[in-house]
Amino acid sequence: MAESQEPETALNQEFETIDLNINIGPQHPATHGVFRMVLTVDGEVVVDVTPHIGYMHRGAEKLSESLDYRQAIGFQDRTDYLGGFNCELCYVQAVEKLAGLEPPQRAEYIRVILAEFNRITSHFMFLGAFGTDLGVFGTAFTYAFREREYIQDLFEEVSGDRLMYAYFRPGGVAWDVPANFKERVRWLTKQARLGADDMDKLLTDNEIFIVRTRGVGVLSVEDAIDYGVTGPILRATGMDYDLRKQEPYSIYDRFDFDIPVGTNGDSYDRYLVRLEEVRQSLRIIEQAIEQMPDEGPILPERLPRALRPAAGEVYMRCENPRGEYGIYLVSRGGTRPYRLRIRGASFCNLSALRQMTIGHYIADAVTILGSTDIVLCEVDR
Amino acid sequence: MEVNKGQTPEPGETPEGAAAEPAAEAPAAETPEAVAAAPKAAATESVPGRVPEPQPLAETPVPARISLGVQLEEARLTPVELEHPKALYRSVLPGILQVPADYVIAAARKSSLWPMTFGLACCAIEMIATYMSHHDLDRFGIVPWPSPRQCDVMIVAGTVTKKMAPAVKLLYQQMPNPKWVISMGACATNGGPYTRYDRVLQGVDKIVPVDVYVPGCPPRPEALMDGFIALQNKIMEERGHTG
Amino acid sequence: MSPEDRRREQDPPIVPPEPGTIADLFAAALPDLAITPNQGALDVILIVGRDDVPRLLEAAKTDPKLAFDFLRNLSGVDYEAEGIDVVYHLHSYTHGHDVTVKARLPVDDLHIKTASALWRGADWHEREARDMFGVIFDGHPNLVPLLLPDDMDDHFPLRKDNPLAPLEEWQGTALGANVSEAGYIPPGSGFEVEKVEATPEAAEATPDAVEATPEAAEVTPEAKE
Repeated sequence: MAESQEPETALNQEFETIDLNINIGPQHPATHGVFRMVLTVDGEVVVDVTPHIGYMHRGAEKLSESLDYRQAIGFQDRTDYLGGFNCELCYVQAVEKLAGLEPPQRAEYIRVILAEFNRITSHFMFLGAFGTDLGVFGTAFTYAFREREYIQDLFEEVSGDRLMYAYFRPGGVAWDVPANFKERVRWLTKQARLGADDMDKLLTDNEIFIVRTRGVGVLSVEDAIDYGVTGPILRATGMDYDLRKQEPYSIYDRFDFDIPVGTNGDSYDRYLVRLEEVRQSLRIIEQAIEQMPDEGPILPERLPRALRPAAGEVYMRCENPRGEYGIYLVSRGGTRPYRLRIRGASFCNLSALRQMTIGHYIADAVTILGSTDIVLCEVDR
Repeated sequence: MEVNKGQTPEPGETPEGAAAEPAAEAPAAETPEAVAAAPKAAATESVPGRVPEPQPLAETPVPARISLGVQLEEARLTPVELEHPKALYRSVLPGILQVPADYVIAAARKSSLWPMTFGLACCAIEMIATYMSHHDLDRFGIVPWPSPRQCDVMIVAGTVTKKMAPAVKLLYQQMPNPKWVISMGACATNGGPYTRYDRVLQGVDKIVPVDVYVPGCPPRPEALMDGFIALQNKIMEERGHTG
Repeated sequence: MSPEDRRREQDPPIVPPEPGTIADLFAAALPDLAITPNQGALDVILIVGRDDVPRLLEAAKTDPKLAFDFLRNLSGVDYEAEGIDVVYHLHSYTHGHDVTVKARLPVDDLHIKTASALWRGADWHEREARDMFGVIFDGHPNLVPLLLPDDMDDHFPLRKDNPLAPLEEWQGTALGANVSEAGYIPPGSGFEVEKVEATPEAAEATPDAVEATPEAAEVTPEAKE
C-alpha cells in the first residue's frame, strides 16, 4: 500500500524551481527576423523578458540625410518592407507640407488605392505568418500568398517592382498607371475578398487557433497608451483610434469605412481586427475606384528640378498596417533633409512585449510575438 | 582468344597460304599444340630483312550447327519493346549504371538541397514568396528547414550588420559539410543601398565563403530559382573537390 | 553636403502661432515658465530651456486641460557646435490635440531629465537617442545601448561629425589597381592584381604569353575528356 500512495504524494508535492534564462534568436523561425529575446522562466512560466534589438540597424535616417528629397524615397520602402506604399505616402506628404506642394486629384486617388492594397498584402502576410506560428503550418501561408501574389502583380505593373516601389513623388506619383488599371483593381477587390473569406474559414473557428490565442497576451488600454502602442494592437484593446478617421490625411475624409475594435486586447482580438481591416480597406478601394477621375494630371504643372523646401520642420504621421508611422523632417533650406527621423510603429509596439508576455507560458511567447506583427527593419531602421 | 587471333596481323608472308589455314581453323582446334604451332611455322618461313605484305583478315565462320529454324524461333521470342513512351535509360544504360561514384553523390546532393529558413530583411519576403504557392521551390527538391544542423544551403537574404555578423558566422559553422551559401540581394552581396553606413558589413563574403550571388533589390523569385540552378550546376562541376 | 547647400542653410524663422492654439493653454497652466511658441507646418512647437523641460512635461501629462497621454516620438537633432536638440512629440487621446516640445542641450553637457517616469514608451526612445547622439537622460532606469552592440558607448552614428563612408571606398579605388576584368576585388582579399611596371622586359614577355595561349587551349579539351 505504501508503494501505491507514493505517486500521489509526488504529484501533490510542490516542486522547487529556479529561474532559468532561455535565449531565443537572433536567428529563430518564430522571431520573424533578427530579433533576440532572453526569457527568464520559472518552470514553464515567463517571469521576465529582455528584448535585444539592433541586429538590423542600417542607418536609413543617416543615409537619407546624404541624399536629396526624391532619392530618399527609396529608403522608405526598405524601412517597413511590408507596407512600402504607406511609408512612401507618409514621407512624400511630409515633404509636401514643407514645400507647399498640392498633389492633383488623380494622383491622390492612385496613392490611396495603392496604399490600401498594400495594407491588405501586409495583413495577408500577418495572417499567413501567424497561422504558421500556431501550427497551421504551410496551409495558412499558402492561402495568404495566393492573393498576395495577385496584388503584387498589380504593384509590379504600376511601379515596376514587386516590393520596393519608389513610385510616389512629392506632389504626386512618378508616372501614370496602366490603361486597364480600373478593371484590374475591380477584379482584385473581388479576389482579395475571396481570400479574406478563405482565411476566415481557415482560422477564425479553428479550435487549436482559438485555444492558443484567446486570453493570451492581454494588454489593457492604459498600458497600451502608456507604451505608445498604436495600430491594430491598440484597437484590439477597445480604443477607437485610427489616424485615417481621427486626423484624416490625404483624401481619407471622403470615404465611408468603419474602424474595427476589439474587446479583450488579446491575441485573438488582434487577429480579428486585422482580418476586418482587410475588408474595410476593400471598401475604401471600391469607393475610391468609383470616384477616381479617368483623366487628369498626376504631378503639379510647375515642379522644380531640385526640391528646396523652406526651412522648417514637420512631424507627419500616417496609419500604417502596423500602426502610427511618423516622419519627423527638419529642413534648413537645402536640397537634402537636415534630419529625418522615422518613428516606426513596430518599434513602439515591441517595447510593450515585456508587459504582454510576463505571466504566460513559454509557448505563448511565440504567439504574443507573432500577434504584434513586427517588421524588424522598421524596429531597427 | 578467338578475337585476338583474328585481329592479329600475321608476322610473316606465306605464299602458299599454309599459315593462314591453321589460324582460321584455330577456333575449332583448341589444343595447346595447335596454338603453339602457328607462330612457330610463321617464324620459320619468314624471310629476314623483307617487309611482310599485309594479309586480309580471316572471316569469322558462321557456326554451322545453328539451324535457320532456331534463328526464326529466337526472332519470334524477342520481347516486345514499347515504342512509346521510351525511357532514355533503356537505350543509353541497358541494365547497369556505370558512372563514377562522385557523380552519383553530387547528383543526389544537388537534387535535395535543404536551405535554412534564415530571413534577415526585405529579401526574406521574396524568399518566402519563392517557397509559396505561385513559385513553389519544392519542385526542385528544395525544402526549407529551420535548424542549421540538417541544412546544406544558407540563403543570406538581407543586410548583414556588424552586430549580426557573428551570428551569421556561427550559423555557417554549425552547418555540416558539404555546405553552400547563396548571397541573395544587393545588401548581402556588397551592402547594397546601405553600404556607406558604418554599422553595415559590406557584403557577407567578408565573413563566410559565398558560392552564388543573386543580384536584385530584392531579387525576383525567378532570380532566386536561377541562383539555385546555378548552385546545382556548380555542385556537379565541383563534384570531385567537395567532401 | 555641397558647400552651396551649406551656405544656403539657415534655421527656420520663429513664427508665433495665432491665438487660440495649444500654446495658450500651456501659458495658462505654467505662467512663470519662459516658453517660446512657434507655429510649425502641422503642430505648435514650444521651445523651452533644458531645465524647464521636466516641469513642462509633467504639467502636460497631469494637467486635465492638457492631458497629453501619448508620447508619439522622442528624437534628437544635431546642430553641431550649437548643441543637440531633444524633441518630444505629444498627443492627447482625450482632447485630440498635439504639441511639440523642443529643448537645446549644449555640446559639453548633454544631460536632461528622463521622461520615462511619465510615459513608459519613452524608455526605448531615450535609449535610442543615447545610442545615436550621446544624450544622457538622468534618472533613466536602464540606459544601456539598444540598437548598438552592448559594449559600444563611445560611438554616435547619427551625429553630423560621424561621416558616411566616402564613395571611392565602395565603388572600387577609382578604377585603380584593384579593378580587373573580373570586376572589383576588395583590398585584403588576397586576390589583388599586382601592378606590372611597363618595362621593356615585361613587353618582351608578353608575346610569349600570347604564343602559349593556343597550346593551353589545345590541352584543355583533352584534359576534359
